[in-house]
Amino acid sequence: MLKELNPLLHSELRLAIMSILIGVESADFVYLKEETQATSGNLSVQIDKLSTAEYITVEKGFKGKKPKTTCKITNKGKKAFAEYVAVLKSYIKL
Amino acid sequence: MEDKNLSEKESLELITRMIKNTQSKFEMNAGVPFLIFGYLTVIAAVAVWFAVTRTGNPQWNFLWFIIIAIGYPVKMITNRKKVKGVKSFVDGVITKLWIVFGVAAFLVSLDAMFFYNIDNILFIIVLLMGMGTALTGMIIRFSPSIIAGFASIAISFLLLQVEGYDQCLIFAAVFVLMMVIPGHILNCKGKKDVERA
Repeated sequence: MLKELNPLLHSELRLAIMSILIGVESADFVYLKEETQATSGNLSVQIDKLSTAEYITVEKGFKGKKPKTTCKITNKGKKAFAEYVAVLKSYIKL
Repeated sequence: MEDKNLSEKESLELITRMIKNTQSKFEMNAGVPFLIFGYLTVIAAVAVWFAVTRTGNPQWNFLWFIIIAIGYPVKMITNRKKVKGVKSFVDGVITKLWIVFGVAAFLVSLDAMFFYNIDNILFIIVLLMGMGTALTGMIIRFSPSIIAGFASIAISFLLLQVEGYDQCLIFAAVFVLMMVIPGHILNCKGKKDVERA
């Protein structure tokens, strides 16, 4: 029987955020916004959801006088992402 | 992009696209540091060889410092043009690796210039830089740098057989092989990857 896909990752924007963060050490809010072409509000909401699930950590700080939000994937997030990809593969029988 | 559910195939495509996009951004102009230090070293080596053999004045050896005096400011300027807002693991590792090799090479150079404890400075520098290049190639999985790095390590021993300032010409040629050629190949590869992404 096929496993259920993680609903937290099975959304376009959250999956895009996780796919970016899986390959880098960290990425800031502006970079994620540019890459995903999402609105600031929607991106903030999805980042909060991933952060609440402890899939990513969010660090708020300043670069000069400008606020800077930096996101990093956690080990829990990496594991969830790997499991999600494995289940996806089983669905489409890769 | 929105908060909508995707089909399995769309999900996999999105993951692939996002990972490729991020990777290709880092590959763009990745060869620039090799080109900055490669060309500057070639210019400095030929300039020192030309000036000292023509004038016989060893003070011209101070020309070597143009590598640091010009190289690091230019590197800092090009760093600012890098992908903003994102840090990669690989970039961090490579930066630390070159800090170690750079500091070692700088201290060896200072000793050779001011305390005269080291006779064959160019041999040591090529050996160190060859190691750094081969390691960088292995980390970024770029075979031209791996091959050029190991070739430079092998060629470095040739410098032990050559005496006097003619070593500078071999030194310049090694840097063309070790940094200039792989730097251009890496930039071309980065451009192609970005176009494909």
